[in-house]
Amino acid sequence: MVEHYALKRFAGTCKPYDETVRTVCGECTVGCGLLAYLKDKRIVDIEGDENDPVSRGRLCARGIAFHQCLDHPDRIGAMLGRNSLSEPFDSRDDWEKSLDYLAERLRKIRARYGPRSLTIGCDPEAGLDFFIGAMRFARLWGTADVYHPLYATRGIATRPVPAIPFGPRCTDWGKSKCILLVEADLATTHPVAFGRLLDARERGVEIISLDSRFTPTMSKADEVHTIRPDSGNRFALALMKAMIEEDPRVVESAKTLFNRFDDWKCSFDALDFEELERMTGLATGTVEALARHLAAKSPVTVITGKRLSGRDNSAIWSTMALAAGWGERGSGGWYPLDGGLPPFRPFTDIDESDSRRRPAEDGRGLGKDIDESFEMSEDPENPVKALISSGNCLYDFMSTMRGIAKGAELSIHFGPFPNDTTNLAHFVIPATLWPEREAVSFSSDRAIRWAERIIEPAQGLRSGLDFWIGLAQRMADVRHLEWKAYFPWTTKEGAADTRAFYGWLLEQSPLTSGCGVERIIANDGNTPLFWPMGPAAPAAGERNIEPIFLPAVFEPLSRDEERERFPLLYQATRTISRSGDADSFRPFILELEDANAVEIHPDTAAVLGIETGDEILVHGPGETMEASARVSRMVPRWLIWSPRRLGSNCAVVCKKGETREEASRILKEFLR
Amino acid sequence: MDKRGNALLSDGSRCIGCFACETACKLEHDLAPDTHPIRAIVTGPLERDGSLVLSFLPLTCAHCETPACVAACLTGAMQKREDGIVFSDPELCIGCQTCAVACPFGVPQLNSKNGKIAKCDGCKDRVDRGLWPVCALRCPTGALLFGSPVRVVQEKRQKEATRVANRLLGVDTST
Repeated sequence: MVEHYALKRFAGTCKPYDETVRTVCGECTVGCGLLAYLKDKRIVDIEGDENDPVSRGRLCARGIAFHQCLDHPDRIGAMLGRNSLSEPFDSRDDWEKSLDYLAERLRKIRARYGPRSLTIGCDPEAGLDFFIGAMRFARLWGTADVYHPLYATRGIATRPVPAIPFGPRCTDWGKSKCILLVEADLATTHPVAFGRLLDARERGVEIISLDSRFTPTMSKADEVHTIRPDSGNRFALALMKAMIEEDPRVVESAKTLFNRFDDWKCSFDALDFEELERMTGLATGTVEALARHLAAKSPVTVITGKRLSGRDNSAIWSTMALAAGWGERGSGGWYPLDGGLPPFRPFTDIDESDSRRRPAEDGRGLGKDIDESFEMSEDPENPVKALISSGNCLYDFMSTMRGIAKGAELSIHFGPFPNDTTNLAHFVIPATLWPEREAVSFSSDRAIRWAERIIEPAQGLRSGLDFWIGLAQRMADVRHLEWKAYFPWTTKEGAADTRAFYGWLLEQSPLTSGCGVERIIANDGNTPLFWPMGPAAPAAGERNIEPIFLPAVFEPLSRDEERERFPLLYQATRTISRSGDADSFRPFILELEDANAVEIHPDTAAVLGIETGDEILVHGPGETMEASARVSRMVPRWLIWSPRRLGSNCAVVCKKGETREEASRILKEFLR
Repeated sequence: MDKRGNALLSDGSRCIGCFACETACKLEHDLAPDTHPIRAIVTGPLERDGSLVLSFLPLTCAHCETPACVAACLTGAMQKREDGIVFSDPELCIGCQTCAVACPFGVPQLNSKNGKIAKCDGCKDRVDRGLWPVCALRCPTGALLFGSPVRVVQEKRQKEATRVANRLLGVDTST
């Protein structure tokens, strides 16, 4: 290999400062090294850490401008309360009294409606500690209805941890011969990691991208294919079948590795290519050609988007990588984006101390997909009467729960900014943001690093753990166990000991157990620790691996009767901004994303008489939104796209003043 | 840029239109959100031979050899340094935007935060201290390179030569 030594970079700041903090960026899961310059305890400049092994001093727009919202004048700085949603909020200054009040209300709701009356929505903006704290609190309370858009299944292990052929770290992507990206717009969501992908490409690695929109990632790929939104895991099933048929090495390898090989292979014999062709929009011939191509390009790294990681059948990528032998020598494998959280077992300690509890009680709810197709239908016997939500989750991944929020007796919002979710709350708890919290950072590369707090939070702002501990203390009588057993990382003063929490958390996964938080804190970051700490990936020659079988039935991606009335597919993905609502309070990030825009293909726009800039209405089965048209070939003819959620994955679009029915008729004819 | 100064090389093959360069510039120079001192020009997606093509190219002030903005400036705020950097001195600028009219590329813009002209100043204060301009330093994909004209061109040539050499040698990248 001929190596190239890059131009030397000269980093530093011209701004006057009196303190620097070296930490890890919390905006996404690349985990870029950050150097924050402070003057009088305020951030005056941010730069990438030149010694960081992944980011090498580079940053994306979010990593550069994250601090713009920290002292935004609209930031929620005190607790707010009101008796009904139609009233204005009053300021409630006293933390203790406010929590007393909330605990009393919650206790009454539980006594009247039972433990299933509480639902909790965890936005990633609130932090991993908020999510874990929520699950522990929910366990104390007696419900399992805790939702998180990323960690629904992957992060929280309810089953034994399977052998995973982990894909190479982004610094080693150049060791693959081919990188297959499936519904992963890395260039938009993780730009610094995408720089590594471009490096790999320059070294001769072939890039193949499959997505529903023509993304910036696709613009740099050697081969691209359009598939229907959220169908990537179904494409994997079709590809697995094609690989079994086209590549005898896969069959031989699978025979040695997998338990019940014959049953596994037979399950794929039953796969109907035509049905999958209809679901994915990808021709069978294309899938077969890809299988042949990948066979010649081994080792392959498959990068799947975060929307696929937690969904049905996602583990098929793991089975595929094992059968194809991509993971050998660490040159290929499966790299699920945002999948860097080790599988934790969050209740083991409680189960040990509470033998009367049935483990099955906690299974429900934790494994659900949270997306446009997720629907929360109210159980008449267990109505949701209390809702605790964070970030802007009721207008994001839990948008289908807005109706329930409006009818709840108590709706609590834990968030840093006033937003649409705040408008559906009776009580608001001001939250900290990641630069104000110390935490363990888990990157997509599976690096574990200590992220130092950059600035102290203002008076009155609380971490998620503080909130849950405060509530749990007051709910002690609802379970037979003491609340402290659920929150063992509480200080004598009743606050959260963050370091103890992360130390405890690392012990809850067999892949990080024994690591110790002190070791992570002491690490200089230039050579981070990676999980698994022990053997987790299958060793060479390991057998008896349980493969993923072809599912007996496929859940429909959208309902046929809805597609009749709403013939276009609707996709909502964030581009520059991320979950939560902090980006609405960062002027430079806000400038980069037109949240009002809806992309329409030129041919589709032409039949509807729509031009760029026209005011349009997007109708979904349960909601209509006003938007501005952006005519672009980024979307195929059958898809419209926006950064905003609609609460549905099918829609019809028309110009303002025109009828939905007429547009629907035109579109059905056009798309036939 | 002047042969005594430095050059900023834009590599369209690595630009992804993420606007990190623009964001970094606006923070460094305390500009209003709607100013665009450096901008990734997005072209497409266009259909070409049945495929879609989407391209990005970061563009900023060309720091012209004979800048029209300097000639047009009424107060002498717009100046060209010996190293080739063209910049506007906020102490002298009155925000009349004559430079914006004179510039054939529409580079100078009004910064609504202070009513003065905002344009790329080559991060002259940083460069004077031996630092890279923030746009090049922060760029997540390395699409912007900074250095002496000879060095940045050499960098590009070396990279291309390395790529070609590895392909010709048939290097197994998996080892």
